[in-house]
Amino acid sequence: MAYPLQLGLQDATSPVMEELIQFHDHTLMIALLVSTMVFYTILTTVTSKLTNKNMLDSQGIETIWTIAPALILFLIAMPSLRLLYMMDEVNNPHLTVKTIGHQWYWSYEYTDYKNLEFDSYMIPTQDLIPGQFRLLETDHRMVVPTDSPVRMLITADDTIHSWAVPTLGVKMDAIPGRLNQTTFVVSHPGVFYGQCSEICGANHSFMPISVEAIPLIHFEDWSTSMLAKI
Amino acid sequence: MRNLMYRFICRLIPLFFFIGGGVTMSMLYLARLGLRNPDVCWDRKNNPEPWNKLGPTDQYKFFAVNMDYSKLKKDRPDF
Repeated sequence: MAYPLQLGLQDATSPVMEELIQFHDHTLMIALLVSTMVFYTILTTVTSKLTNKNMLDSQGIETIWTIAPALILFLIAMPSLRLLYMMDEVNNPHLTVKTIGHQWYWSYEYTDYKNLEFDSYMIPTQDLIPGQFRLLETDHRMVVPTDSPVRMLITADDTIHSWAVPTLGVKMDAIPGRLNQTTFVVSHPGVFYGQCSEICGANHSFMPISVEAIPLIHFEDWSTSMLAKI
Repeated sequence: MRNLMYRFICRLIPLFFFIGGGVTMSMLYLARLGLRNPDVCWDRKNNPEPWNKLGPTDQYKFFAVNMDYSKLKKDRPDF
């Protein structure tokens, strides 16, 4: 999850996010190399005492700096497109969870076998127990089994919201009248947080998402206990 | 004069290659999208809703990284 003074992406909890982090590292390295080279070139040009009044054109370097950027862009585009298509694949999900964005909470529905539906409100700051995270905890978490492809069907009730969990590499808009689908796999158990990512009114910053991943053998216990509670 | 023209064109060849290649690839992809994408309907009389005719093994996306679409089975009722 996020921590103070964080500069980079959160650690990955799904294979897709691992790929995204690798692609980000690859592209950022290229960007840093290019920027460093350009900065160095400008610096040396500006501080140089040499002048040549007869230098008019230089076909060699012009050719090089047409081909080299094209090659660099190709090396960025190929992994990018591969990742884009990979993220869009439907991977035979084991479970379908529907989530509806409301003002200002999320509701989750597990309707594959029985009808389990519950709302997930943020825990207000004054009600937090020591050790809980401010503005991220919710009263009911969305629980999913680990190592299982999960299909999320996302929509909204009133305004546009967006369901995002950075560590899983998931962000999908919740648009009234439209059903968006995304899939993810959680690699290891834990609790993962996200926040609503589309401005939706006064409490847009106060409708977080928390996903709890538990091994499959415990998942049935949880859903039975939730059905009994609700 | 002609020599200058010849040299001018020669030196621009990498530029033509990359820009031309990029434009060609974009146009080809757009043509593929227009003709092969099941969301597109050209013939309202004979083929009105092509998105209803997809089977489980159809791969209409350009590129499949991990999924082997030929192995999927149809587990839904017919429309």
